[in-house]
Amino acid sequence: MSRSYDRALTVFSPDGHLFQVDYALEAVRKGTCAVGVRGKDVVVLGVEKKSVLQLQDPRTIRKTAMIDDHVCLAFAGLTADARILIDKARIECQSHRLTVEDPVTVDYITRHIAGIQQRYTQSGGVRPFGISTLIIGFDANETRPRLYQTEPSGMYSAWKANAIGRSSKTVREFLEKNHKDDMTKDETIKLAIKSLLEVVQTGAKNIEIALMEGHGQVRNLELAEIEKFVEEITKEKEAEAERRRNRLAATAGAQASMS
Amino acid sequence: MECSFGITGKGYTIIASDSNAARSIVKMKTDEDKQKVLSDHLVMTYSGESGDTLQFSEYIERNLRLYGIRNHVELRPRAAASWIRAQIADSLRTRNAYQVNLLLGGFDLPTSEPALYWVDYLGTLATVPFAAHGYGAFFALSTLDRYHRPDMSLEEGLDLLRRCINELKTRFIVDLGTFKVRVVDREGVREVKL
Amino acid sequence: MSDITTLNGGSCIAFKGKNCVAIACDLRLGNQALTVACNRDKVFKITDKTYLGMTGLASDVDTLRSAFRYRLNMYRMKEEREIEPETFAHLVSSTLYEKRFGPYFIEPIIAGLNSNNEPFIAAADLIGCLNFAKDFVVTGTASDKLFGMAEGLWEPDLGPEELFESISQALLGALERDALSGWGAIVRVITPDKVIERTLQSRQD
Repeated sequence: MSRSYDRALTVFSPDGHLFQVDYALEAVRKGTCAVGVRGKDVVVLGVEKKSVLQLQDPRTIRKTAMIDDHVCLAFAGLTADARILIDKARIECQSHRLTVEDPVTVDYITRHIAGIQQRYTQSGGVRPFGISTLIIGFDANETRPRLYQTEPSGMYSAWKANAIGRSSKTVREFLEKNHKDDMTKDETIKLAIKSLLEVVQTGAKNIEIALMEGHGQVRNLELAEIEKFVEEITKEKEAEAERRRNRLAATAGAQASMS
Repeated sequence: MECSFGITGKGYTIIASDSNAARSIVKMKTDEDKQKVLSDHLVMTYSGESGDTLQFSEYIERNLRLYGIRNHVELRPRAAASWIRAQIADSLRTRNAYQVNLLLGGFDLPTSEPALYWVDYLGTLATVPFAAHGYGAFFALSTLDRYHRPDMSLEEGLDLLRRCINELKTRFIVDLGTFKVRVVDREGVREVKL
Repeated sequence: MSDITTLNGGSCIAFKGKNCVAIACDLRLGNQALTVACNRDKVFKITDKTYLGMTGLASDVDTLRSAFRYRLNMYRMKEEREIEPETFAHLVSSTLYEKRFGPYFIEPIIAGLNSNNEPFIAAADLIGCLNFAKDFVVTGTASDKLFGMAEGLWEPDLGPEELFESISQALLGALERDALSGWGAIVRVITPDKVIERTLQSRQD
C-alpha cells in the first residue's frame, strides 16, 4: 500500500517524507547545472546551456531570467514550471513597487518565491514546482551583492557560492575548495566558469553568464568574453599539468639516483 | 486649472505640463512633476482628480514595465495608448471610475514616427499632431492650428510651445507658473528647460 | 449639451441604391464645443462588402469596434465564411441589448451588399432596436438635419455615381447646419466588384 503515499501529495509517508517533494528534487538533479558566485561587489550566475538544435532559435531558450531591474534568477529542473514561477515573481516585483514604491529586496523576493513553492507542497490538487532556483541581486542603495537558493520544498538559504542541478555536488565541492572572500569581478566570473567547466565538457558555447555589478546593472556576457576566460583557464590547467609532470619526473629522477 | 500640451514635429514629440499641485483655491506646491516616463520612448502627462491621477499612472507604469520584462520588448506607442484607453474605458462603468486625462507622447522606433495621443477620462482616444488638456486647450489650440507644421524642427516646436504658454500668460486669469517639458525622439526621453 | 450621446459630436448616413449602397460620415471629434481632432473616421470595414458606422460617445465607439472585431473573427473562424450584412445587423443588435440597463451610448448604422449582391441598410438605437429601412438611415448629432436632406435628395434605383452625388450633398448640407459635426467627410460606395472611397472637403469650422 506504499503507493498511496504518492497519490495524495499532502500526506506524509510513515517515515516523515513527502514523496512528491523528493521526486521534484529528482527532477532538479536531472536539470542542467547552474552556479552562482558572490564577489566583493559583483555577483555572477552561470548556467550550462543545452546545445541548440540546428534549426532552433537560441534566443528562445534562456536559463537565466530578469525578475526586476536588480534581481536575476537561474533555475535547474523543469523549464515549463520555471516559466510560471518566474512570471509570478515578476508580477510580485512590480506589485511591490506599486504598493510601497520601493523595489523589492533580494531577501523579500526569495522569501516570496520560496513561499509559492511551499504552498504547492501543502495544497490539494497540485504538484510541487520541479525546480530549484538561484537568485542574485542588489538591494536598493546597497553595494553588497546577494545570492540565495530556493528548493521545491520551499526551503531557502543565502550563500557565498552555490550550485544546483546536474552534478551540483561536484561543482559545490569545487567551489568550497576555491572560493575566497572579496573576489574581484574577473576572479568571480572566472570561478563561475571554472566551476561549470568541471561538468560542462563542450566549453564556452554551452555556458551562459549573467553578470550583475550593482543596482540595475545586469548583462549577459558575450560569447567572445566567455571564450577569453575559458582560454585563460585551459592555459592555467595546462601549466599546472606541466608543472606536475616536471615534479613527478624530478621525484622519479631522485628516486632513481638513490637506488 | 491644470494644463498640459503635446506637440509632434520632425522626428520628435514634445510633452509639457504645468507644475502646480493645488487644492481648491490654494497652491500647495509649484514643482510637481505631473508626467511619467513609461518606457524608453514613451511619456505620459496626467491631470484630473488628484488621488486618481497618481494611482492610475503608477498602475499603468508598473504594468508597462512588467510587459517589458516579460517580453524583452516594450509596447509600441500605439499599442500602449490603446491598452491604457481600454483601462480607462473599463473603469468608466464601475462605481468609482478613474477621473484622469492623459496625453501620451512617444516615438515609434520601427516606423521612425513621432506619436501623440489625446486620452480623456471617458476613454476617448484621439491620434493628433498636437493636443492640449485643461483650460489651456481653449487658449492654445487656435495658436497651434495656425502655426503647427508636421515638419517643424525641435527648436521651432519649442518656440511654438513658448507661444502657447505666452498666450496663457497674457489671456488666462490664473498664472500657471513654470512648465515641465520633456522631449521624446529616437534617442529616448529627456527633460528640457524652456 | 452635457448629454453624453452628443458630447463628442459626429454624424453618419447610409443610402440604398440600385445594386449598391453608400455610407458616409464626418471627421470631427469634439469635447462639447471644442474640436479635439479632425481625423475621426466613424465608419469601419466589417467585410469586403459590409460597413458599420457608429456615432455617439467616442469611447464606446472604440470599445465596440474592438468587441465587434473579436466577435467577427470568431464567426469567421467557426463558420469559415464571411458574415452577411443581415446577420451582422443582428449581431450588433444583440451585442447592444446585452447592456440593456447600462447601455453603450452609440447609435450604429450598417450598410452592405449580401452574397446575392442585394443592397442592405439598417440602423439601431443604443439598446439595439433594429430599423431595416428601404431608402436611407441616419444617425448622430446632425441626424435631424440629415433626415431632411435625405428626404429631399434620395431617389430609388440610383447607380453608384448618382448615389455618391446625392449622399454627399445630403451629408454636406446637414453638416453646414450642425455645429458638432463637420471638418471633412468620407463617403464609401459599395458596389458588387469594388468599394469607392472618397474624402470630401467641407467647411473647416
